[in-house]
Amino acid sequence: MVSKEFTINDELGMHMRPASLLSQMAAKYQSNVTVKYNGKDFNAKSVMLLMTALIKYGSVIEVVCDGPDEEEALAAIGEFIDSGMGD
Amino acid sequence: MYKGIAASRGIGIGTICRIIEQDLSFETKIVTDTDAEKARFQKAIDDFVEETYAMAEEVKKNIGPKESEILLGHAVMISDPSMSGEMFSMIDAGQCAEAALTAVCDMFYGIFSTMDDEMMRQRASDIADVKVSILKKLLGIEDVDISKVPEGTVLVCKDLTPSMTSQIVKENVAGIITEVGGPTSHSAILARALEIPAVLSVPGIVDLVADKDTAIVDGTAGDVFINPEISVLSDYVIKREDFNRKKEELKKFKGKETLTADGDKLEIFCNIGTPKDAKKAMECDGEGVGLFRSEFLFMDNTHLPTEEEQFEAYKEALETMQGKTVIIRTLDIGGDKDIPYMDFEKEENPFLGFRAVRYCLAHTDMYKTQLRAITRASAFGKAKIMVPLVTTVDEVRAVKKLVEEIKDELRKEGIPFDENIEVGCMTETAASAAIADFLAKEADFFSIGTNDLTGYTMAVDRGNAKVAYLYSAFQPAVLRSIKQIIVAAKEAGIPVGMCGEAAADPLMIPLLMSFGLDEYSVNPVLVLTARCIISKWTKAEADALAEKVMAMDNVEDVVAALKAAAKE
Repeated sequence: MVSKEFTINDELGMHMRPASLLSQMAAKYQSNVTVKYNGKDFNAKSVMLLMTALIKYGSVIEVVCDGPDEEEALAAIGEFIDSGMGD
Repeated sequence: MYKGIAASRGIGIGTICRIIEQDLSFETKIVTDTDAEKARFQKAIDDFVEETYAMAEEVKKNIGPKESEILLGHAVMISDPSMSGEMFSMIDAGQCAEAALTAVCDMFYGIFSTMDDEMMRQRASDIADVKVSILKKLLGIEDVDISKVPEGTVLVCKDLTPSMTSQIVKENVAGIITEVGGPTSHSAILARALEIPAVLSVPGIVDLVADKDTAIVDGTAGDVFINPEISVLSDYVIKREDFNRKKEELKKFKGKETLTADGDKLEIFCNIGTPKDAKKAMECDGEGVGLFRSEFLFMDNTHLPTEEEQFEAYKEALETMQGKTVIIRTLDIGGDKDIPYMDFEKEENPFLGFRAVRYCLAHTDMYKTQLRAITRASAFGKAKIMVPLVTTVDEVRAVKKLVEEIKDELRKEGIPFDENIEVGCMTETAASAAIADFLAKEADFFSIGTNDLTGYTMAVDRGNAKVAYLYSAFQPAVLRSIKQIIVAAKEAGIPVGMCGEAAADPLMIPLLMSFGLDEYSVNPVLVLTARCIISKWTKAEADALAEKVMAMDNVEDVVAALKAAAKE
């Protein structure tokens, strides 16, 4: 299991578009991908659950990847978040 | 007459076509052949996704990529493991497809509709839209084909869903009336993109009208008339012509320079609140950004924004503006704003208290972070620093000294920046008007903030209903202050702009032209309007009007004279 913290730098927070891109990216990996925020766990492969997390601009989230391709998954997702989540 | 929310400007007159909600009730059954039921459900989803993609493609072509993303979102939502995945598990457990779909959609609808975030609450209507569309597929119900309505149709429905909007043929739909939806709902956004007049949130309208009724939709005022009298109808036919003529006229100003009737060049800039708004400024033909409020970085945040976070935001706005000027106002808040991580104390009188540049100069670490971020971003466009709430020359000197220190640091570190980055004054206090000549010697530019200038000059809190009558930028005291600031800037040879609401006011513009204002910074949607008004006045006409008005000793006379002289 690997994990890392990230700061959300999209002004609108985790809204539909970034959540949808993030979930599609997470779904490409076999590993379980979980976003930890505000003391709760959210399945990152689900755009709906990611949106229910109401992650705001400037928040810090922890991404946890667990599975055979966990390193690749974390690297790819990390790069996606740091690059502004496609916005 | 019925009142609703004015969601898309313009006047539409036409014949009503009601889009009535269909009976989507179903019998909940226990399913034994779960594989067959899952296949039936999968088929409904596949059909829905296929149609949605086709529709999104149409919308992208006819309306725009942003609007088509709303529809693509629907396809993404239903394909989500916690949506269809959950539904398939329920079918496996013996539920019928309709019941599984309804249960999961309703659960998410419940979550999203109660969220403390406007954007997320909008997602609830997306979920409802997805549910209804797939339910119709399962029940074999065909929709009214909106794409086939005849020319001059006014659509009346409970809610205009994105899937309905995407079928609209712009030439045939004269107006839209709904029972629900707000100014930021998808229906409103799409109606505006299609330039169809729309009034939303008219209670019970679907049951109050019949097909073939005549309707007037006033999307500017939010009014709806059903089977109006001839006199009302003819009034609105004239209003409609008027509106359309003005709209056409404004289009002529798109992509043009801002010129007075004499051919003198002025500039229309935009006021923005986030880097994303810069796109809007460009789309609306703004010639620069006259006010980029930096507060969003501090207010929607859990911590003091780092230099890097700020740098990225300023850089984004500068890059979007492609070399056009971006005037960034440094932090302008105080004790009236509760920002947990900043040590603002509750004050008796926050608007006269420890705020804006006063707070910033007492917290130089924080302020230098912001100034450094702006100075670094200046390598990516034409950035200018604007200092709010200036009341003394020393404040400007202090900020300039900090900027010089930062430049030295950056030079030593080999980080690029614009050596000529300007530091200007937001002139918005009575003091700044009184010492405008002193300030003009120290500042690189002025920008008049008329909202606060009016408040501070008239000693009026505009939110206080008992004294709000005094709050007007046309008060002789305010007009004199504005003139004094502009004249001082001209004498010192520095540029002067205005970033308050008054800069777009058709009555104020001729006065500002006469005083010599160079740059008018307005809400992006008002760029063309302001440019159109400026084009109608010569300097001589503006001067004659200003001379007359500046001799008047009360606001009523001033406004009456300006209205009488206004040019349509």
